Amino acid sequence: MTAAGLQEPLPGAAPAPRAERRAAAALRLPWLYLVSRRVPAALGLLAGLAALLCSALHWHWAIAGGAAAQQFISLTIEAGAAAVIAVTTYGPFGEAERATGRWLPYLRLGTAAALAAIAYGALAAAAAGGLLPGGTLALLRNLAGSTGTGLLSAAALGGAFGWTGPLACLVVTEVALTGNPTTPWVWAARPPHDLGGAVCAALVFAAGTAAITLLGARDGGRASAPE
Amino acid sequence: MTAAAPARPVTARAFGLTPLPLLRLLRIELRRSTMPWLLPLIAALFWFDSYRPSTGMPPLYVLRTFWNMGQGHTIIDFGPFVAGAAAWTGSRDGRRRTADLVAGTARPRWAAQLAAWAAAAIWAVAAYLAFTGAMFAAYAGQGVRGQPPWWWAAAGAAAVAAFSAAGFAAGAYWPSRFAAPLAAFGGFLAMVMSSQTGFRDTTGWALILPTDSNGNFQPDSGLLYPWLPDLPIARIMLLAGITMAALGLTGVRVRGDGPRMRLLAAAVTAAGVAAAGTAVGLAGTARLSAHGIVIPALHDAASDRPFRYAPACGQAAGVPVCVNPAYRRWLPDVTAALGPVFGEVAGLPGAPARAIQVGAVYDSADGGGGQPMTIGGRPPVLLLPLGAFGLPGAPGTTDPFFAFQLRLFAVHAFTGAGAAAGTAAQRAVQAALLHGAGVPFARQPSLLSSGGLPSWAGAAGNGGSGVAQGPVYDAARRLAALPAAARHAWLAAHLAALRSGQLTLARLP
Repeated sequence: MTAAGLQEPLPGAAPAPRAERRAAAALRLPWLYLVSRRVPAALGLLAGLAALLCSALHWHWAIAGGAAAQQFISLTIEAGAAAVIAVTTYGPFGEAERATGRWLPYLRLGTAAALAAIAYGALAAAAAGGLLPGGTLALLRNLAGSTGTGLLSAAALGGAFGWTGPLACLVVTEVALTGNPTTPWVWAARPPHDLGGAVCAALVFAAGTAAITLLGARDGGRASAPE
Repeated sequence: MTAAAPARPVTARAFGLTPLPLLRLLRIELRRSTMPWLLPLIAALFWFDSYRPSTGMPPLYVLRTFWNMGQGHTIIDFGPFVAGAAAWTGSRDGRRRTADLVAGTARPRWAAQLAAWAAAAIWAVAAYLAFTGAMFAAYAGQGVRGQPPWWWAAAGAAAVAAFSAAGFAAGAYWPSRFAAPLAAFGGFLAMVMSSQTGFRDTTGWALILPTDSNGNFQPDSGLLYPWLPDLPIARIMLLAGITMAALGLTGVRVRGDGPRMRLLAAAVTAAGVAAAGTAVGLAGTARLSAHGIVIPALHDAASDRPFRYAPACGQAAGVPVCVNPAYRRWLPDVTAALGPVFGEVAGLPGAPARAIQVGAVYDSADGGGGQPMTIGGRPPVLLLPLGAFGLPGAPGTTDPFFAFQLRLFAVHAFTGAGAAAGTAAQRAVQAALLHGAGVPFARQPSLLSSGGLPSWAGAAGNGGSGVAQGPVYDAARRLAALPAAARHAWLAAHLAALRSGQLTLARLP
């Protein structure tokens, strides 16, 4: 007795075209991965943050102080978007998922990169109607840097605590904005066209993406992580 | 005939809140809490954001702690992270879909949730107190003088507890992995906006906001007089109310605990809301006094008594100058700055026979620098609000600028100009005396327009940031060009008219 005939279509049912079945099978894994990472909810939150940025720029929510202080609300929203991206790396399956999925690194990379691109697009679109401090170039730099720190902290602390990196960066930036920082590693406090700041943010983004692609978020199966 | 059951007394046992099992539960929660994982990161931020910038300030508690406690940076370093971690803990049952499973256990679910929150809060508050204690110990090792702001440290601890409760409630109501970042970033944004509201709203309810720094620290709090506890008490009341309301709300929605437990949770929520509302109302009655924010309903008159101390004294051109011992290290700078001025005015009517330090007062418009020196009494005494001035070692203050400040304020008081720029004649005499005290005419306009001085200093007629020209400086140059004896005689004859504001510029020699 074998189970060879179990995948045959039921009598009377029209067989699905082979290409269609293969496409459905190919999309099933990414879709399941996205759902397990709560990406649909993350997209909703990114849309909400974009709406918040749009409101802040439209109604001129401002923080008293110099030009640096006035960009703080937009910086907080950008860091919030990075935190949402970082938290999507949290996976509930741990060892079982890693043992069976050879596509996992690609899925991690694709999800992180796609969410970062979507976040940038959404925030840039939201800023189109107002005057975003630093412009979209600074938005790209700050979002990339914050996302990188979020992915790095997810790899180090666990996906559920990926938000700690962008938040810590924000606190450091808040202190730096009160002075006149010269280090490019506090990129958000540098002018939009500062090459050093852009390079540092890009490096952190690359490091975070590489870490999350190769290692994944730290979880209970790989090593002891907060639960 | 019925056998009515005797009414059971309402005790903690009736609610399933017996202490021993709860303590066991708390011990388990303390061991499995996620909060300790974040403490190294918080410690690093605390050092970078709260401690490190403060070390650039002069070694007085009021100056060292204004950045980290007055402006609430210790709360900003802790609160958002604590809220995020507590939200993660609060969402545990919902995320793992174990709410139905644990609802059938022997303990009330709300009690178990309170144990989970308490574990997170104990870790967070203990860490806050430990880090703050370590910071104060470091200050003590560096010879920082004055009283530490204990009430403000207590308010910070209450804020950390409130953040943990609010985050926990957010996690319980929205059991998602995104609850933690939203609680954390929401808390951070609220703190930043709160501190900025304080810059705009100098009175009223806004004073209750935990990072509102407007007028909460007076320049000599803990040095010449005690820290006023009124505003910290109101803030602790608000934060305790928020904590109670948030924890009560988690009990209201718990399934399976029965109506009595839900009623208790609703009562706790209502009590929390009432406490918070009362605190906001009390803050609305606050007023700024010479020693800090006073809330009449909370104020204890004993807090107004200045400290008794044996002053540290020196001599400036033969005139005794006495300051609080905490300011002893700046006494040589003070005597060196005032000596030339006292030499210029020696023997003239109203010339100070003594200078003593008095408490400085913060002004929401001019900050600390808005307070003038005054001369009064018989024999005349120069009252020196040293805490109002930028001290040597403070950011943006150099030794020459400190000396200039003291000379300017002393001469300004001597000419009788008060808290205004003064008449043209008073400004001319002020310029001439400053020149005689070692501040050349050419440097006066730029020094007078420096930051940290009261608004009258850069007023029109003093020259602003331009050059020392115009009728005022011309008259001043003429007066300064007189031989010392002639200048002295002219001043002796005209000082009364000058101080009354009746002397015109044309009557200067």
